[in-house]
Amino acid sequence: MGNKQTIFTDEQLDAYQDCTFFTRKEILRLHGRYHELAPHLVPMDYTKEPDCKVPLALIVNMPELKENPFRNRIVESFSEDGMGNLSFNEFVDMFSVLSETAPRELKAIYAFKIYDFNVDNYLCKEDLEKTLNRLTKEELTPEEVVLVCEKTIEEADLDGDNKLSFADFENMILRAPDFLSTFHIRI
Amino acid sequence: MAYELQRQDSHRVYDYIEGDGYPGDQQSLRLRRGQSRMSNQNYHQYNWSSTPAEQDEESSSGPPRDLRSIPMPMALKRATRQVQQMQVPVVSRRESWKRKKTKSLLKLKHGIREFLYFFSLWRSSLQKIGGNFGGGVQSYFLFLRFLVVLNFVSFLLIAGFVLIPSIVFRHVGSSLVNNTGPEECMVYDPNPQGLVVFYSYFLDLLSGTGFMEYSYLFYGFYNNTIVVDSNFSYNIPLAYILTAVFYFAFCLICIIERMGTAARVAVATGGSAVGNYSLIVFIGWDYGCLGDRATKLKQKNIHYRLQVDLEEERIKKQAATLTSAQKIVLHSLRVFMVLVSSGLIVAAFYGIFEATTYSQVNDVKGILGLIFQYLPSIVITAGNFVVPLLCDQIALIERYSPSTTVIVALLRAVFLRLVSLGVLLYTLWSQITCEGGSDHTNNKCTLCQYDHMTYQCWETRVGQEMYKLTLFDFLINIAMLVLVEFPRRMVVDNWSNKLAQWVGRQEFVVSSNVLGLVYGQTVVWTGALFCPLLPVINTIKFFIIFYCKKITLFNNCRPALKTFRSTTSTFFFLVVLTFGWGLGIVVMIYSLAQIRPSMSCGPFRFLPIMWEIVPTSFYNLTKTTQEFLFFIGSQAFSIPLFVLSCVLMCYFVALASVYGKSVALLRAQLKLEGRDKQFLVKQIEQFTRKQIPNQHD
Repeated sequence: MGNKQTIFTDEQLDAYQDCTFFTRKEILRLHGRYHELAPHLVPMDYTKEPDCKVPLALIVNMPELKENPFRNRIVESFSEDGMGNLSFNEFVDMFSVLSETAPRELKAIYAFKIYDFNVDNYLCKEDLEKTLNRLTKEELTPEEVVLVCEKTIEEADLDGDNKLSFADFENMILRAPDFLSTFHIRI
Repeated sequence: MAYELQRQDSHRVYDYIEGDGYPGDQQSLRLRRGQSRMSNQNYHQYNWSSTPAEQDEESSSGPPRDLRSIPMPMALKRATRQVQQMQVPVVSRRESWKRKKTKSLLKLKHGIREFLYFFSLWRSSLQKIGGNFGGGVQSYFLFLRFLVVLNFVSFLLIAGFVLIPSIVFRHVGSSLVNNTGPEECMVYDPNPQGLVVFYSYFLDLLSGTGFMEYSYLFYGFYNNTIVVDSNFSYNIPLAYILTAVFYFAFCLICIIERMGTAARVAVATGGSAVGNYSLIVFIGWDYGCLGDRATKLKQKNIHYRLQVDLEEERIKKQAATLTSAQKIVLHSLRVFMVLVSSGLIVAAFYGIFEATTYSQVNDVKGILGLIFQYLPSIVITAGNFVVPLLCDQIALIERYSPSTTVIVALLRAVFLRLVSLGVLLYTLWSQITCEGGSDHTNNKCTLCQYDHMTYQCWETRVGQEMYKLTLFDFLINIAMLVLVEFPRRMVVDNWSNKLAQWVGRQEFVVSSNVLGLVYGQTVVWTGALFCPLLPVINTIKFFIIFYCKKITLFNNCRPALKTFRSTTSTFFFLVVLTFGWGLGIVVMIYSLAQIRPSMSCGPFRFLPIMWEIVPTSFYNLTKTTQEFLFFIGSQAFSIPLFVLSCVLMCYFVALASVYGKSVALLRAQLKLEGRDKQFLVKQIEQFTRKQIPNQHD
């Protein structure tokens, strides 16, 4: 750990360490992974804070994300331009939220963002149908899909507006004991 | 757009408003909660006011941790951090000392946790199993690990108090009670005379006779000695009995403690699991799932779970629409099927009874003799295999909902396994004490109060039966692995026949494997009094079984589509284990208090019942200790204690119900607040709409 690395300044590493749930070693490793996604795009020297973004198509090919049915939504939720192009800051942010030590509330916020396909701050029927289809690879019949969506909204909707606001979602998620362990990507 | 972070004393709350919102009016709504929020049109989803727990002047280690948990984009977090860094905290000396202490304490906690991780048995294997096969299968292996540790600690207990003192004091010390019985009862000849054939050693190893019988393995070897020194005395019979009692109590405490964690979660969340469907949809997907095969499996799994739930709904709807005639038919069919399954189980019990009687009487030598000796084990195993298969077919006719079917099948299997063990023991006992049975000649037991001709040392015989059961169970497991599961996999993989594909790879069925573990542990509990080394044999057996099951899981099995709900399954396994414990303790109490111990062997050889040693030794204690113990046992103490424990129990039950009710109340309140908010927002919309036309006028 005493190696002289020239990728980040010490101050940058401290900043990353304070703002994410990663240690210095892990941040350097993440930079290595980010670099190998697009070696010609991503510079090795980040001390000058270069402004480069790796496009969505390259990020969703990572082995950790490749098989995830929600990979596009995950990357889009963390990108500032909403198109899925991630700078290194956003890349680190994404894996920090999905890491083991991130608290429930934080994960719930981003989980809500991920499942909100039309980005209207509500999980409406269409969002749920899309989620369900991706989960079961479209093996449920349409009637079953409609039935499950209805039941889900019925169970979780507290204010009775037939769609799930963040408060409904959070209330339901935080009571589930498995949430922390399933919403977790190891990198 | 610049962020204004306003920190106040209140704790952190996230407020989420729709779209752009109406800043001013929304603020008046929220003023009653006493916070201020900041607006940001760019970051349109989440408005929040983040407030750390302490004042500005004491900006503690709070802020850096807060930054990590805030849903801000990274660049903004870093900017905020820079701003924070520029503020120099002014802190008193006491405060800084406190802060240093908490930091070092945290470091220590992390260090201890990492250290314990290192010692946790099989941690990485369990993680791999859970990742590839799901929570249900992992809970089986967790249960197995719990049993291995429990058995090992029990062995340490027994070794420390019984085995090692016996070894040390073997040739020292005097007999406790002198012999008072007839001469014929004291004959005990465990080693046969004359030339023994070589392979008989192997047979002896398998059946616990011969050279193994008169050894520390069985009860008969332990002596009825008491060692009295100037300042040290050790009473081996007393140690034996108290260790046995304490062993049972210790196992019960461990089981209850493990059950407690699961029960606590259930109570705190107000009982039932929240919404099956919503949980499956939002939490069903494991983001850590890697690889194509695991992903496809996970999808199929979620699909199956949803289908099961939908099926249950459909069955419920269907059941509600049945006419009364159909209902009567269905119920009578169910009653008939219950009778049929009970009949099957009773037939199995009768088979065990006959096998046990036959095997005790027969005295054939050689391989045939070995088979006769193992006859009870063979019948029990065959019964445990055949009867559940038939009950599965019966369940098809009964047409319960899927979850009820699983529970009913499990209960039947548990009942079959545990009671068949009970039948075996009852048969043994009735033979030992000559109660009933086919021989009406009672003069076998009148002399020594037990059948001293057939059983010179009956405790050792019972211990041998339990030893044979354990060994047979272990051998069957290994045999199944080698002779059934590996060949099946090889046939399915290499033979692309339609039949082979229809049979398919082995599925790892959690429930029947768990019942096997419970059965094995129950055998150990019933036999521990007569075969003190049985816990260590069981530890080794379960240890090897862990690796065998793991190998078969990864090589031969396809993961089950029908998953066992892992949250409730641990609790269920422990409940079933408690039934087994109950059987063990019934056996122990009966042996301690009812039957006369054999007069030719063992630490209790001249006592009328085993428990007699405790009162006898009791009077050797000092007067004050005697009075103290009398006082504890007397009514003046025990009745108030009983009343106090009842009061405590009522208190905890009331507390649990209050928690459940308060959870329900809070849920209802949350609903009402949501509706409140909607209503007020609509009012505001209407009001503003009225205002705007006015303004345009």
